[in-house]
Amino acid sequence: MPAESRLDLLQGTLDLLILRTLRLTPMHGWAISERIQQISQDVLQVNQGSLYPALHRLEHRGWIRAKWGVSELGRRARFYELTAAGRRQLDIERENWARLTVAIGRVLESD
Amino acid sequence: MNWNDLCKRMRAVFFPGREERELEEELVFHVEMQVRKNRHAGMSKTEARRQALVQFGRPAAVKEECRDERGIGLIKTLVQDIRYAVRGFRRAPAFAFTVVATIGLGLGVNTAAFTVFNAYILRPLAVSDPYSLYQIEWRNRSGQRHLFSWPQYRRLQADSPALSEIHAVRGFQLRVNGRQCFAELVTGNYFSMLGGGATRGRTLKPSDSSVPGQGAVMVLSYAAWRNLFGADPDIVGRKLLVHGYPLEVVGVAREGFGGLGDLARDFWVPLSMYSQMVEGPNPFDPSRPELLYVVARLKPGIKESRAQALLNAFVPRLTPGVTEGDRASSVTLESRATAVHVSREALFILTPLVVVFVLVLLMACANVANMMLARALARQREIGIRLSLGAARSRLIRQLLTESVLLALPGAAAGLAIAQLAVGVGTRLMMAALPAEFAEFVRIAPLDADFRVFTFMITAAVISGIVFGIAPALQATRGGIVQAARGDFGHQFRPQRLRNALVLVQITGCSFLLICAGILLRGANQVSNINTGLRTYDVISVEIQERFRDRVLARLAEEPLVSAMAASSTLPFESGYPSARVATANQTLLDPSYDYVSPEFFSVLGIPLERGRNFTPDEALAGAPVAIVSQTLARRLWPGAEATGQPLRLVADARSHLSNRTPLRYRQMRVIGVARDVNTGFVDDQNSRLLVYFPSHPRAAGTFLLLRIKGDAERARQEVDKSLGEAVPGAVDGIHKMQSLVAGRVFPFRMSYWVAAVLGGLGILLTISGIYGVLSYLVAQRSREIGVRVALGATPASVVGLVVKQGLWLAGIGIAVGGVLGVGAWKLLASAILAVKYFDAMPFAGGALIVLCACLLAAAFPSLRASRVQPITTLRHD
Repeated sequence: MPAESRLDLLQGTLDLLILRTLRLTPMHGWAISERIQQISQDVLQVNQGSLYPALHRLEHRGWIRAKWGVSELGRRARFYELTAAGRRQLDIERENWARLTVAIGRVLESD
Repeated sequence: MNWNDLCKRMRAVFFPGREERELEEELVFHVEMQVRKNRHAGMSKTEARRQALVQFGRPAAVKEECRDERGIGLIKTLVQDIRYAVRGFRRAPAFAFTVVATIGLGLGVNTAAFTVFNAYILRPLAVSDPYSLYQIEWRNRSGQRHLFSWPQYRRLQADSPALSEIHAVRGFQLRVNGRQCFAELVTGNYFSMLGGGATRGRTLKPSDSSVPGQGAVMVLSYAAWRNLFGADPDIVGRKLLVHGYPLEVVGVAREGFGGLGDLARDFWVPLSMYSQMVEGPNPFDPSRPELLYVVARLKPGIKESRAQALLNAFVPRLTPGVTEGDRASSVTLESRATAVHVSREALFILTPLVVVFVLVLLMACANVANMMLARALARQREIGIRLSLGAARSRLIRQLLTESVLLALPGAAAGLAIAQLAVGVGTRLMMAALPAEFAEFVRIAPLDADFRVFTFMITAAVISGIVFGIAPALQATRGGIVQAARGDFGHQFRPQRLRNALVLVQITGCSFLLICAGILLRGANQVSNINTGLRTYDVISVEIQERFRDRVLARLAEEPLVSAMAASSTLPFESGYPSARVATANQTLLDPSYDYVSPEFFSVLGIPLERGRNFTPDEALAGAPVAIVSQTLARRLWPGAEATGQPLRLVADARSHLSNRTPLRYRQMRVIGVARDVNTGFVDDQNSRLLVYFPSHPRAAGTFLLLRIKGDAERARQEVDKSLGEAVPGAVDGIHKMQSLVAGRVFPFRMSYWVAAVLGGLGILLTISGIYGVLSYLVAQRSREIGVRVALGATPASVVGLVVKQGLWLAGIGIAVGGVLGVGAWKLLASAILAVKYFDAMPFAGGALIVLCACLLAAAFPSLRASRVQPITTLRHD
């Protein structure tokens, strides 16, 4: 994969992506990173070094909850799921993101 | 942080294994999945694993970050630091013990002081809702304070805004079973308002106090019931004679209830019994005298300032029909929540005292800081290694501070024990030093440690832990990484300067404390060295109830132990004399003290008449317009002339009416005699010896009886007290040896001297150990240099001189600063205490000398060690 086609994640966007990814179904850490990469068609690459601290941070804040479950391959894995507070946070962050992109778009489109 | 989270954190701290294993497993799982994916992409087994690990990054760092995100890092490092520190202390128990003991001493002294402060000023009294209770006085236009008359009290009770309840009281003293008692006349709602229940019988009811002259009942305090009546179970229903009136005991108040104020009361009597209990005007007289103290409870939700405003607007209605100038115009409210009410301004006056105690703690801290610094030096290699291995400086400082706070906490425990001991021993010593008969008067509030004391203790401990820890921690971690790794702290690390500063603090504080002690001691000596001019050792004074005066006099006339009896309107030493303005024929004006005395006064107290004659019995009985003046007064009024036979005029002056008991009757008088000077004041100067005597006799109301007795004074005092108590029960309000009154005058000086001396003594110990530490370190550090000097021919004497000079240098600066502070303290003391009015160099010289000797003593051992330095050993050393 050519290096210049990948984008580093903006500060704070990783949380939003994790929350969005977990909206439909609980997942373990590896699956989350794979899913983000997949959906963004390999444009967004999640750095493992920041994924796990982010997961622990979100859990600490009460937005996601961790449970031990069995992975698709029959191994014990830690699954994360969205809490009610996490759902609310997702809405807030999505809205913030939308406003941010519109605002940045306006600045770039001006003159 | 919610509850769940807290549980998780606690689990993480106390069972770190499980949390760690789960994190580990999670990360391993991730890598495994990545390896699988790589294999699918066609990599070899080893290559797939290598790539996965490269992609993942450093697992240890990821783990660390995860932990930080969970917020368990902080607690964890704290636990680590504590463990590390405890291990360190175990390796150096002597060091840990010394620090704990030193800090314990400093904290102990402060906690002892705080315990007393708390008992009187902070702790609310054991009454219901103490914080809404205020004592009220009213003021007229010119700001004179007034108590309340009965009608004024009733008016305030009926109509006042802002107050939910009020009661009126008047205290009085008497002797019961040979013991001084404090009692209070109270309105019937007193107990219900203050929430003072009864352990036996009942308390007072409004109906007890409804009709003046009726309600011959009393309620004993729990303490009085136990101490005076041996907790007699049948006390209720008994009748006790109080001032000759039988009062029925209707109950005993609950334990711990002693009314308001700092003096626990022994019993309470309905206010309606006023005229039977207290002589002179009573509040139910038609003249409406203002005699009552009024305490009110503010309505819920009304603040002091609001109540003040409402009452200011209300009080003019209390004084209808008086002239504008005498009308009530404002009120003063004084909180009665604690034993002693201290206004903000008065708290300010306490500051010097606080400074003195904090100084001791500061000196202890300086000492410990010095020890910590020495320890940090010994650990410089360790610290250097940790710094060069990448430890953050903040992390190291945190760890060093954890160590010092950890040492301060056991110090707090030791301090608490020391404080309890100091308070206990101090109280006992104080009571032992008090003249025995005053011990009856002194009521000490229970001085136990409550939560306020604990809070103070812990706060002081943590703060002092940081105070003595911060400087060494900053110093020790200051070096650059490269030098630190080599253990070379050369340039940046100058602990000697800091250590010198710390020792200077100690020397300064210690000289200051010793100078204060010296000033107080000299003050006490000065007062006790004043020649009073009175023969006191075989004289006792008796204060009696007026209506029993004849019977008491009759009894005393038969008393075999009494050889002579005199009367005086003022009791020398106990209360100050009133003064009056007098003028001579040629208009020389002076303000001498005056005293009404019987003719026997001069012989009983051994005051010779230098010129002229004594009062005759007729003059005494009639209160004739004649006067005897003191020598100094005679000299000042008629310099160089004969005083006897001179006319003396009293000048009308506000001060001439100070004493209600002895209104001055005549304007013109004739001097008939000159008595030798006496001085009952605190200063040995002319003004204290200006005294004029007017004639009186033992039957005159309001005079104290002075008895010359035979044999041992204390035994005679008890005998006379007992025989009067049997013959005329309730007649005696006070009976003292004159000698005790003299001793009591010096007592406060002696007490404060001892406090200052003990603090100064502690200071000396701390200073000696501080100087010793600094100089020992100096010797160790410079042993090579000293070795070279010796090798080049320096004599042991010059080496000793080298070290001693360093010690004297510090001592000189410290003593100088301490001396300057001492002058400030003297000025402050002189403004409050007459006896130290004149500057006295002795305390300064004495304090400086003691500190100097202490410094030399502390310097002796290190300098001897320095003189024994063998040049060969030190030169071979590196």
